[in-house]
Amino acid sequence: MKLRSPIVAMLWETWRVTRVEAAWKLACGIVGGLVVLALHATFAPADNAKRYEDIMDMGAAMAMTVLVLPHLIGWPSMAKLIGGRPGFPLYLHYTRAVRTAVIVGLPMAYLTAVSSAIYLGSALLLRVTSGYAFPLLPVAAWIAALTVIGVAATWSTRNRSIQVVTMVYATAIAWFISVERLTAVEIPDTFDWPPRLWSTLFDWPLTDYAWIALIGLASFGVTAAMVARQRRGDELAASALAVVTRTPGGWVGLWDCLVGLFPLPCPTLSATRAQVWLDLKSNGFPVLTIGVTLAIVIRLMTAVSGPLDAAFLEATIRADPSCLNRDCITLVPIVPVLLAVLSLLIVLALAGNAFRIRRRQGRTYVSAFEATQAYSTAQLAVLKLLVKSACVLAALITIGASLWISLPLLGEAAFIQLWNVRPDSLRSVIKDAVAALTGYEQLALVVVLAVGVVIWVAAFAVLGALRTRYSRRVNIAALLLLLYGLVLGLLALAGQRGIGPEIPLGAIFRATSWVAASAIVLATGYLLWRGFAEQLLTLGHACGAVLVSAAFGAAWLTMLRAAGVSLAGMPTTNYVWMLSPALLPLMASVLSPWSLSRVRHT
Amino acid sequence: MGQTVVDVNDLSRSFGGKTALESVSFRATAGQIYGLVGANGAGKTTLLKHLLGLLRATSGAVRVFGLDPVRDPVGVLSRVGYLSEERELPEWMRIDELLRYTQAFHPTWDASYAGELLETFALDPAKKVKELSKGMRAQAGLLVAVAHRPELLILDEPSSGLDAVVRRDILDAIVRTVADDGRTVIFSSHLLDEVERMSDHVTLMHQGRVTLSGPLDEVRRGYQRSRVRFAEPFEQPPVLDAALAMEGGGRAWSVVHTGSLERFHHSVLALGGVVVESRDATLEEIFLAHAGRSRQQVEAA
Repeated sequence: MKLRSPIVAMLWETWRVTRVEAAWKLACGIVGGLVVLALHATFAPADNAKRYEDIMDMGAAMAMTVLVLPHLIGWPSMAKLIGGRPGFPLYLHYTRAVRTAVIVGLPMAYLTAVSSAIYLGSALLLRVTSGYAFPLLPVAAWIAALTVIGVAATWSTRNRSIQVVTMVYATAIAWFISVERLTAVEIPDTFDWPPRLWSTLFDWPLTDYAWIALIGLASFGVTAAMVARQRRGDELAASALAVVTRTPGGWVGLWDCLVGLFPLPCPTLSATRAQVWLDLKSNGFPVLTIGVTLAIVIRLMTAVSGPLDAAFLEATIRADPSCLNRDCITLVPIVPVLLAVLSLLIVLALAGNAFRIRRRQGRTYVSAFEATQAYSTAQLAVLKLLVKSACVLAALITIGASLWISLPLLGEAAFIQLWNVRPDSLRSVIKDAVAALTGYEQLALVVVLAVGVVIWVAAFAVLGALRTRYSRRVNIAALLLLLYGLVLGLLALAGQRGIGPEIPLGAIFRATSWVAASAIVLATGYLLWRGFAEQLLTLGHACGAVLVSAAFGAAWLTMLRAAGVSLAGMPTTNYVWMLSPALLPLMASVLSPWSLSRVRHT
Repeated sequence: MGQTVVDVNDLSRSFGGKTALESVSFRATAGQIYGLVGANGAGKTTLLKHLLGLLRATSGAVRVFGLDPVRDPVGVLSRVGYLSEERELPEWMRIDELLRYTQAFHPTWDASYAGELLETFALDPAKKVKELSKGMRAQAGLLVAVAHRPELLILDEPSSGLDAVVRRDILDAIVRTVADDGRTVIFSSHLLDEVERMSDHVTLMHQGRVTLSGPLDEVRRGYQRSRVRFAEPFEQPPVLDAALAMEGGGRAWSVVHTGSLERFHHSVLALGGVVVESRDATLEEIFLAHAGRSRQQVEAA
């Protein structure tokens, strides 16, 4: 391929790095939106026109949210070029005879334009298929503004704190503006921004566009200036390896700090202990530390929520005395609960990459240093998964415990008014539910939760390994699945609008569940055979996997019974569907060593 | 003949549509030093990665100590020391942690030898890997590769990042010590003088193939460089028996050739020329002759 100018070459590079992510954002938005609409169409009561319309309106609003959500996460594929660290990712251009403004401006403009184009494309398609007038330009313009701020925050600084604060601040402002505008007029019996009002609600004044242009210019100016500084005397720029090599006193990255937090000596008595030490230090303890920190923050926020709640309430009443008649509340007591939920999600998200796959300049690989240690692949996979799972589980338990002891201390008014529930009664409900279980059922619950976490960690690890080894095939398979979802969504929508022949959706769903269950069984059998053929698995490993799977299966059945699910008399499809999770531990036990073997011996 | 340590038979490997190794066969015996020579992209690192089981063969077989390194990584890697080209080490580890971690995998770890090397390289055990310079990183990598006294030491471009003193004095000494103990060293390099200085055997790779392999002395004896003068000028290089590469123009040509000198003399005489001077070719001249020849073959194809 002949690239005629540096500008074309740089645009080509940005496209090359981000094209898969762009395809995913487009596909997820369209499929997610259509699935949301289709689900609402399926479950809305056809015999009650008003109710039907309300539910479909809600579905359209949720679909629009789904279209916007992918744009809130920025462009991670660019950040991967420098291992996910903040800073300008295209630092290799520093040595080219191109002005910094161009080096910064081109990819910035490209990413902003693509974000807006992805939204516009998805919204247009949903407009055509659903008939709802999804807003186009106004939302696309704000998405552009958010993208440009996100890019500026990530590229301008190497300081993670500044980056996070900027992003949180920008998102919070966007959130408050959206809430203020969309809920300005209270609409009885439904939410405040139904689709019939979208044309009015999203008709931004011209000043908005002026603000967006100003934000774009300011972001570009700041980024260009800061990247110029990085270009002049930056250590990262000088390093072809893109390794942040700061002096000990400087910023070395949050994860690196956490890795160095526990000065445990490496045991030398056995390879297993040394490997556990390595995985704990580099992969487990950082997650646990983050979990414990979040748990402490939740507890501290709970401690200050009482006085803060009172102060905010007093200020609200002083500003609007009539609010006393409306039982006004503040949302302060809810914040620790929301933070706890967010913390659980953060820890679950950090459960990924148990195999420590590295990324650098678009290349994903396992470290040759670790891959050449004399340790069997199956043992290595199991050990890595267990260490990571143990730390993730410990982090989740710590956060849960923090929330548990915090609940009785939270103000009740907000909970009662919003959800008609008292925080303390939540504890009672959980306590009673657990107390109602027999000892065996409680043990089953513990087994299901613990093995569930291991399966979660294994799923992330396996997916990462497969994406590293077979990236194109995995992407194609995932896109085909999305396409399948899209077709089902479209069929459901077409059926709901009376277009075309009647589609037996129930039969398609039943066939899908059979195919999925068969695929799990066949894949497990095939991988077991391959594992033995390649001498990857030993008899001991296979027996261990079968034992764990049997224990999980028994625990799963016990939990189903405890939940009142009776398998007797259940249709075969549902029966298979309910029992299929029992196969997951076995599948994870054979898939994990196999996938690690694929990246260790490529 | 020593015991066979490495046996690579008809190994081929391709990445996507690109062939990286094509029908490569290679054998290494105990107590010898093997130098792999070739230009960038010749397939040296790919071959070494196959010996470590980091890559699977598309076809052919790889045996190290009689074992398949992919199927039995523990059996192979516990007896191998490896220094990668990228000098990849965990950035967050301190040098002392790196030593302890590696020690745990090798019961044969020689703590006093490790301490001796640590002192020789003047490495600070409390320093983290990410704080090391490129050269220090190479030294740390070399240290953990040799301190367990491996039966097979694999070094991928070991000189890269090392200064001249370390390269000449320390690296040579380490490699020689390993071989003198009856163990085997395989190293890749594009520095021909280094290969000539250090190795007992040389294997020349070009575009994924082994173009030449054998004991260094035999290889050097098998090639001569001769200066030739003809009565009539030649615009194109004259066709001479056993000639691999020719430089020059008109009446005076310089030729790298194989076979007996007598046969070469006859061939020159037949074209009305005389051999002015002959000597053993250097490894660099042999390498360039082979590389140039392959390039011509590719261009002709």
